[in-house]
Amino acid sequence: MSDQTEELGILETLDHLLDRGVVIAGEAVVSIGDVDLLYLGLNIVLANVDAIIRTSQPKQIK
Amino acid sequence: MKHVVIGAHLEKRDIEPLAEAIPVADLWLSGMPIEDAQPLGDRELLLRVAQIRAALLDQGTFIAIRYGFTAHGESDAAVKCAPHIERWRRVLHDCRGMVEMTLKVAAAAPRPRPDRHDFDSGAAYIRALHDATRAAEVEPEFRRAVDATLAPLAVKHRWSNRDTASLEFAALVARESVAAVNDAGAALKRDFASVPFLLSGPWPLEVFADDHE
Repeated sequence: MSDQTEELGILETLDHLLDRGVVIAGEAVVSIGDVDLLYLGLNIVLANVDAIIRTSQPKQIK
Repeated sequence: MKHVVIGAHLEKRDIEPLAEAIPVADLWLSGMPIEDAQPLGDRELLLRVAQIRAALLDQGTFIAIRYGFTAHGESDAAVKCAPHIERWRRVLHDCRGMVEMTLKVAAAAPRPRPDRHDFDSGAAYIRALHDATRAAEVEPEFRRAVDATLAPLAVKHRWSNRDTASLEFAALVARESVAAVNDAGAALKRDFASVPFLLSGPWPLEVFADDHE
């Protein structure tokens, strides 16, 4: 596996880890690099601004 | 000691010995124990969780919990997860044997991302960002090809605008269909060599985990 491919794999993996999945109330705040993190109410929302916008869009399910 | 919670599972045997199984009602959480003082914003920890997550998916389908949620023991986990248990049970039963695949594609003509410093208020900035994100579109021919080749392999699928420069096609597929999805992705790569896209997976239940609300 080339370095570039490996790095792409890590980025994609971390994107899924940090940007998908269900959010549960918690008590932790994580700051990684200079990514914008938001803290909303009692729920920890570990996501960047783009993720917040995306989840505010109406769902289209087929 | 606390646990970084990785996912919600139907069966305890889907978790062990890769992670610790934490009971919540009749379901199970997979968790990785760490010291209370250990910061979560640690690259090595992130990568360890990512590796366990991938291995857990090989053992069985689960609902991904977004990184950052920790629990101090069974009672803490039970209290925090109580509002989700019924839905999780439904999702896990309905999606047993399924995984997610995602295809990320660059927007055909991305609009420039708004600059925070150009706005007087946060609300105006968010609105502008929202507008720019929603304006992003995939090259129509590529989108038609995805809808014609990948979508029929999925139980459910969904397009969503990720940011000002990319969109994503997410598909819930049976594990047996993963190879066919990858084959279809390879064909797209041949047919649309100039379109930058990344097909990845299988992933646990992430995008479709909230559909049963």
